[in-house]
Amino acid sequence: MRKAGMSGAAHGLALSGLTKRYGAVAAIDGIDLEVKPGEFLTVLGPSGSGKSSVLMAIAGFLRPDAGEILLDDRPITNLPAEARNFGLVFQGYALFPHLSVADNIAFPLKVRGIARGVREARVNEVLRLVRLEGVAARKPQELSGGQQQRVALARALVFDPAVLLLDEPLSALDKKLRAELQIELRDLHRRVGGTFINVTHDQEEAITLSDRIAILRNGRLIEIGRPIDLYERPKTRFVADFLGRSNFLEGTVASLAEGMAVIIARGVMLRQAVGDWQDLRPGEPVLVALRPNKIEIACDGRGEGNRLHGEVRSVLYVGSYLELVLRTEIHEALLMTVPITPALRHPREGERLTMSFASDAGVIVGEDRADLPSIALARTLD
Amino acid sequence: MSARLLASLVKVIAWAMLLFLTLPVFIVVPVSLTPQSWLSLPTTGLSLRHYAAIAATTEWLEPFETSFLVAGLVTCLATALGSAAAIAAWRLAHPLVRWLSGVILLPLIVPPVVSALALYRVWVDLGIFDTLLGTVLAHTIIATPFVFTTVGASLASLDPRIEQASRSLGASVMTTVVRVIVPCVRPGILAGAVFAFIASWDEVVITLFVTSRHVFTLPRKIFQDLRDTIDPTVAAVSSILVVVTLLVALLLFFTEERRKVPG
Repeated sequence: MRKAGMSGAAHGLALSGLTKRYGAVAAIDGIDLEVKPGEFLTVLGPSGSGKSSVLMAIAGFLRPDAGEILLDDRPITNLPAEARNFGLVFQGYALFPHLSVADNIAFPLKVRGIARGVREARVNEVLRLVRLEGVAARKPQELSGGQQQRVALARALVFDPAVLLLDEPLSALDKKLRAELQIELRDLHRRVGGTFINVTHDQEEAITLSDRIAILRNGRLIEIGRPIDLYERPKTRFVADFLGRSNFLEGTVASLAEGMAVIIARGVMLRQAVGDWQDLRPGEPVLVALRPNKIEIACDGRGEGNRLHGEVRSVLYVGSYLELVLRTEIHEALLMTVPITPALRHPREGERLTMSFASDAGVIVGEDRADLPSIALARTLD
Repeated sequence: MSARLLASLVKVIAWAMLLFLTLPVFIVVPVSLTPQSWLSLPTTGLSLRHYAAIAATTEWLEPFETSFLVAGLVTCLATALGSAAAIAAWRLAHPLVRWLSGVILLPLIVPPVVSALALYRVWVDLGIFDTLLGTVLAHTIIATPFVFTTVGASLASLDPRIEQASRSLGASVMTTVVRVIVPCVRPGILAGAVFAFIASWDEVVITLFVTSRHVFTLPRKIFQDLRDTIDPTVAAVSSILVVVTLLVALLLFFTEERRKVPG
């Protein structure tokens, strides 16, 4: 028995030095990227970062000016889109309005000249996979957004594509449905076992779905890694800021010992784990990214690590947590989140608080890719 | 109050316009039914004698056949050319395409007499003056912009990613055009075909210039008869012309209505 959709060994895909320019502007600026067989990789970036261009280049609809696209080490850069055998799911689904759901899904099999009997069996199999058996005879425009999305997925999977490409597949759906389909998509990837490349600007979607995330900015690959690594240990200011939120503390290295740096930030001494920045030198300026949830309100003077004193400027109630903005000695508007527990005494505006954060709560980040230490860069491209 | 007054005024004007546009039909059809042998409104009774007169001679049959043949060929040619041009213009997102579209639409803008004179000169040089081929080609030039416009309008509402979707699913550009784009813009193609048929069916100005003795279309015969012998048979022929045109338009309307019913 063949498994429905993308049977056989999963394929790997690589981009090497991929570049596309429009006049002076580079939509894709020398991207090197390796997608492992069977991996769910998300390309994440703000609008205009070039993420859609990268996907269109992989799909074969955008001819790169330089660089190569390799499928299992075989160059496919000059192959037309129809010869690549990649499934593609569009933002607006792009279903054929003149064909029924079953005929939409059968289309890729028909153009491949697959016999009617085999075709029908495959279509039914894929319809079951996306749980749409009941609507096979309907026209796409008679279906809900979520159902149309599943038809698009089924149509892109039915012909055993080497790679499945997803171009903001969930962005047209409302929030609740989007969350449901995220789980479904994740589940589908596990069952199908193929290589998925997803493009999105939705960081939550990227974090929950992906094995790895590649973050793009201005056509360049800034960082790539597992969601947890990128979130917990970003290497650049951009990623620390784009993925979740961060406070940025500017300081200068005063001394170094055993992987620990003493940093002077606006006259305050902070202990900060060096992390990947092993070749840091005393006197060098550094930037520390500190997540709002890594800062705690220090109780009765005790507590480990760094201490800060500040005045509460605003308190925002967000349901399960409070969002505080504080004026502290090292930051004019330090953002912190406080989980609401039965024991929590709600702070008030104007109140003075003492905060603490561990020496490994923050992360040293570079201003841009050029600032990355060589070790960190090597790890990024791993 | 004044808004309502304005709305009713607009309605009155709209109906008046519609009446004005259809007025010839209300004259021509009664005249064709007159029992008299001269052009007059029937006052003493109705008669089909002028319709019988058409059937009695072969005089009208030949122009009828010619017009049908010409209009049929023009419909095929103009629909194929206009659709292909519209699809190409839609696919090629090139600035030059806008200029080319303008050139295709020129026959709609240039006064028919000017086109007719130009075609007459060129057709004589090419040796296709007063031939079926020459007439069909001349009408096709006039009819193609209608197809180009209606198909273009259909394409404008088509998701451009439909083509990318089809190609990503393994269909070549040609397969995509034939199996995806053409079926999607079918209403526009059909409407264009009807317009092309009608444009050729009642074309008279250009026909007068590019034909002489051999090719005799129905409008030309009517035109000539009106000049030579004023006789209600012309009104009867004109009525038939109107009915054929109406039938073609109704055909389109009902095919589209049937398509709209889901299922």
